[in-house]
Amino acid sequence: MNRISRSLLMLFFLTSVIACKKENERIDEEKPKIDLTAESAFPKQCSQIKRGESFNFQMHLSDNVALGSYSIDVHNNFDHHSHSTEVEECTLDPIKRPVKPFSIVKTMDIPGQPKDYVAQLKIDVPLDIDPGNYHFMVQVTDQSGWSTQRGISIRITE
Amino acid sequence: MNRSFLFFSLFFIHGSFLTLYAQEKLKKKIDLQEVMVDGKRYKNAMEGPLSVNYIHIDSLQKFQGGSLMQTLSRIPGVGSIGIGASQSKPQIRGLGFNRVITVENGVKHEGQQWGLDHGLEIDQYSVGSAEIIKGATSFMYGSDAIGGVIRLSSLKETQEDGLKGSLNLIAKSNNSTLGSSVQFIGKEGKFVFGGGLTHLNYGDYRVPTDTVYVYNYAVGLKDNYVRNTAGRETDFQLKGGYVTEKFSSIFYLSSYDTKIGFFANAHGLEPRGVNTALYDKSNRDILYPSQKVNHFKVINRNYIEKDDQKIWIDIGYQRNNRKEFNHYVAHGYMPAIFPDNMGIPEDLERLYDKDIYSINVKDQFTKGSHQITLGGSGEIQHNNIGGWGFLIPEYRQRSAGAFVHDQYSIDKNTILYAALRYDYNHNQSKAYRDWFESETADGAKEKILRADNISRTFNSLVWGLGVARQFGDIETKFNVGKSFRNPATQEFASNGVNYHYYSYDIGNKNLSPEQSYQADLSIGWRRETADITLTPFYNYFSNYIYLNPTSRFDQFHGAGNQIFEYSESKVRRFGGEINANFRLTKNWKLALLGEYVKSKQLSGAKKGYTLPFSPAPSVLIGLDWSPKISQYLNSTYFAIDCKWTAEQNNIVPPEDKSASYTLFNFRAGTDLKLNSSVVQLRFQIQNLLDTKYMDHTSFYRLIALPEQGRNIVLSARVPFGKN
Repeated sequence: MNRISRSLLMLFFLTSVIACKKENERIDEEKPKIDLTAESAFPKQCSQIKRGESFNFQMHLSDNVALGSYSIDVHNNFDHHSHSTEVEECTLDPIKRPVKPFSIVKTMDIPGQPKDYVAQLKIDVPLDIDPGNYHFMVQVTDQSGWSTQRGISIRITE
Repeated sequence: MNRSFLFFSLFFIHGSFLTLYAQEKLKKKIDLQEVMVDGKRYKNAMEGPLSVNYIHIDSLQKFQGGSLMQTLSRIPGVGSIGIGASQSKPQIRGLGFNRVITVENGVKHEGQQWGLDHGLEIDQYSVGSAEIIKGATSFMYGSDAIGGVIRLSSLKETQEDGLKGSLNLIAKSNNSTLGSSVQFIGKEGKFVFGGGLTHLNYGDYRVPTDTVYVYNYAVGLKDNYVRNTAGRETDFQLKGGYVTEKFSSIFYLSSYDTKIGFFANAHGLEPRGVNTALYDKSNRDILYPSQKVNHFKVINRNYIEKDDQKIWIDIGYQRNNRKEFNHYVAHGYMPAIFPDNMGIPEDLERLYDKDIYSINVKDQFTKGSHQITLGGSGEIQHNNIGGWGFLIPEYRQRSAGAFVHDQYSIDKNTILYAALRYDYNHNQSKAYRDWFESETADGAKEKILRADNISRTFNSLVWGLGVARQFGDIETKFNVGKSFRNPATQEFASNGVNYHYYSYDIGNKNLSPEQSYQADLSIGWRRETADITLTPFYNYFSNYIYLNPTSRFDQFHGAGNQIFEYSESKVRRFGGEINANFRLTKNWKLALLGEYVKSKQLSGAKKGYTLPFSPAPSVLIGLDWSPKISQYLNSTYFAIDCKWTAEQNNIVPPEDKSASYTLFNFRAGTDLKLNSSVVQLRFQIQNLLDTKYMDHTSFYRLIALPEQGRNIVLSARVPFGKN
């Protein structure tokens, strides 16, 4: 009887000891960053883009350890259902039905697992697409799988 | 209009009951423990070596939260994954979703446990008692019972002929809940019957902040209301059967029906534009996005006693129908305008419809000092899907299991338990192709195959070994066991984009059943004036299955979203609970409740990280004063709980760290004697100081929406009929 109780107590203390063991493995707890404040960053919240021309997407991405990849997605927001992630509100046109809305999805690997990277893409906006309110989504990941999203409101003009 | 009509008609119906059965003699004593951790009740049961908490309806009423799991979450080790103020999913020691099972009247409750924002579809006012069994319970219930079991039972039938019941009127300040529930049970000779009807109607809930930051986008909350979280719930239960000493057969029929809105400014992690003029017009309307859920259940429970054999047969049919409504929004390669030839309503984003047939059989007999239980179970599921969104494919599932359990009494104080169980599971998922064309790598357009026809068979062998021994006032229990969980369909078959989470989820066809080994210890010391129970545990998973966010995006199949892969890793978890109660004086009681759990992934892509939804450690101190006031006020109590929850810094992508917080809850209640009847009044102020805090295991944590603010809960239970 006493043996059982003693071994049970031992087990209890053993679990407590395991529970208290300090472990110092470093794990990455920081998300990557998308910098929209840099002078050269484009588009920014409420930026205007002319259809029939091309523009340069440019954004400074950074991470505390190593960047992974990034992705952009442009979609119409003619029905006002999407919202940007940004502080500033942009003027919205009245709700309208899309006829030939512009859309683009593009994903890119960031080579060499750097801590800093300037993402650059040349994007053509065809002349025959619907002008109006659009949503420009940028996502970036780091090597640990952390991700950051920024949804920017832009306007495509005639 | 509608609401108050129902409210008053219920009151009126009840009034007629009152005059008929007004001889209520209610005796109630306040036990030292609100939650019993009484081993003796389970000594001769399969749960013998495990830690079991038993909660009676009186405590459920006293601690009543917005949902059943919120009510139960005061119990150390029990938590909830809350979805707003009225919905939650069970969590035991940090395991939730498909790793905890809920059993109602002997049959496993099957809803959409896998879904982040799907609550448990059970009417909390219909529950007569709840038992929480922590630990490796697969040997009893098969797949999914890794973290433990929440076992719910309807009100027990009366011993004598007659009818008794109660009318419960409920009001809550925070989301302006008005509700009522009538529950009754009765007996006439050998026939038993019972039933219930619950209706709840609530508005948007309030949080102690007027601005929520969904990313950097500041969402203003009008008068602190969480936009579009109002809801309605209407449930009913019926029960009827035949009971003798050696035979009983009882039918239970129930329906749970609810319609609830989701926070309108974010769907998942996606910020949404909201027409505030429309949404802020009323706090009680339900606009988009919203959900409508119906859960229907018929259960037949049978018990036969013959010579020294005891046989239980539980048969169940359930249907779970879940619809999620939302404006059509074109994501990824979806067409900008919803085609009108789809045959799907434009606002039906997702539909899940499942039928479940189940049977459990148990035969218990005694051979010498051995009490042997043989059992088996079988279940068939048909899962259908609908709507324009896609997350999981249609599937059919068949499963069967058989077990043997032996309980051997060494002496009066020592019992050994051993169990062995085998389970078979076959899952056939159906191919699903997108209804719209996506761009492919070579520039062509194609309707992508999101799920293939996959046929998978799983076999599992699990076991359990336990001992329970009494040393004077000290009760000890020890159990080691292996549990398992079959991979869920989305884990091996999915290949879809969850646009609201910016994730492209890829299943893994080769996943094998999750295996978990757990050791549980329970040491309880009990005197009349005090009791202390310690329940530490150690758990190891050789292959914990989880959704791993990778560093990659997928441009074509994933429509530019981040790839999340179902992966396996070795996981170590340990922790424990303390449950201590002291009677300081005749009228004063003190409770000390604490819980701790720590998880760590030992291998795989997230080695070193914890598991998602890890609850933070917490300690609760409760002080309870039960004075004798007058002969018209019985069982009066005033109580205050102070719960301190530590910060949660152990996180895994895509979580955020959560700060520590302290919450105060106040409770008071009395049994008011009116003529020959008694009215039980219950009063609570939850989150007394209107503290703004983040619950790390809450669904809305990821978009940094604080939990519900101060909430005054008032309920009156008016018993009627014989006692």
